[in-house]
Amino acid sequence: MISMDPQSRPMLARGVRIRNDPITGEPVLLFPEGVLPLDATAHDIISRCSGESTVESIVQSLAEEYEIGIDTVRGDVCECLVQLRDRMLIAIAQ
Amino acid sequence: MNYRPYLLLAELTYACPLHCPYCSNPIEYPGGRELSTAEWRRVLEEASQMGVLHVGFSGGEPLRRADLAELVAAACAAGLYTNLITSAVGLQSQRAAQLRQAGLDSIQISFQSDQETLANQIAGTSAHAIKLRAAKIVRDLGFPLTVNVVLHRGNIGRIAQIISLAEDLGAERIELANAQYYGWAFQNRAALLPTRSQIAQATEVVGAQKERLLGQMEILFVTPDYYSERPKPCMNGWGSRFLTVNPGGDVLPCPTASSIKGMRFENVRTHPLEWIWNQSESFNRFRGTEWMPSPCCECPMREIDFGGCRCQAALITGDANATDPACALSPYRETLTSFVDSIQQRPETIPSFAADIGRLLFRQSPIRTERPK
Repeated sequence: MISMDPQSRPMLARGVRIRNDPITGEPVLLFPEGVLPLDATAHDIISRCSGESTVESIVQSLAEEYEIGIDTVRGDVCECLVQLRDRMLIAIAQ
Repeated sequence: MNYRPYLLLAELTYACPLHCPYCSNPIEYPGGRELSTAEWRRVLEEASQMGVLHVGFSGGEPLRRADLAELVAAACAAGLYTNLITSAVGLQSQRAAQLRQAGLDSIQISFQSDQETLANQIAGTSAHAIKLRAAKIVRDLGFPLTVNVVLHRGNIGRIAQIISLAEDLGAERIELANAQYYGWAFQNRAALLPTRSQIAQATEVVGAQKERLLGQMEILFVTPDYYSERPKPCMNGWGSRFLTVNPGGDVLPCPTASSIKGMRFENVRTHPLEWIWNQSESFNRFRGTEWMPSPCCECPMREIDFGGCRCQAALITGDANATDPACALSPYRETLTSFVDSIQQRPETIPSFAADIGRLLFRQSPIRTERPK
């Protein structure tokens, strides 16, 4: 597994959208072959993937919001982003 | 367990320019008129109101419907994610641009192989070059592209080259789906089922290629359940997450469910979609675990694999309630195992596929396709 470069700028991959599930009120990720319901943490991470913020700045912003240690947040963010990137749901802005 | 539909497969027509011998369409086409544009619009709106978030337009070949762009636009207006599942025959620049304009989100193109001669042999028509051109059009327009290749004995040996083809086309993902042995594929299974060593080799190649293409292209590889110990959790449970509306408007819990003899499915012309999902006998028939026979009903896996596939149970055992014979615990597993054993000695290289061609039953479109008025 390749880890995430902290200076890379993740964004939603081509054809991937976030929307609110009208039934549950929770966010879901829509992509060419399906639907992925998002938990609150995944949503907080993905909604920051604008293609402008770096992985490291996303980590910092979440550490401030959650008021927890930056190393813990970094691990969680990288794990989530790597999984999403491996499924081609997140791309890295060039 | 809550039953909530997320995905709708809209099979717009059974007409198709290809004749693939593993087609999952029914061998005996149900009669009746295709749904009209207005009827499909209503289905898409009703689906969205029930909570469906994603629609796949499929067939047959959905491009055969002149109103496809109109239906895509209707699905988008209803808030649905739209995916086109196509052979790409008929996907010229103008048509693709029209679909883009209508709001289509993504396109999945089927390929039969990386090699033109073999691909055309499998499709029963010269479609490979058309598909290559269409894939380029799709990328130039900025659509995400999924390449889908149904695997069988004739092409599984070329899996590395097939992955390279998808890579060259710039696809985000490739689905390497082993043929599922229902319908046409069941008729042809003695010529199509890969051998044990082919599956082992393919699994190894896919493992290495997945590693190589991580973050560049997703590779999905589904092995045939004839070689597994456990059945597949078919459709994630009957009437749980998916529904299919077929060209004539019948509503099915899975695309091949109409093959189950003796089952009757409701039609969108006579009932609201929501009633069919919630109330109909067909959608409730295999929900939960009450219907399960032994050994499923006492199995710790019963809410993980749901007893496997109802269509396969019906096809092999004659009883849609039976444990899926792909399961090692099924009393019918032996019939699959002896079939699997019987094909191991057969030649497995590509020339043998050509030699087998005379024995294959190629898929035919309905002789007379009734168009909506």
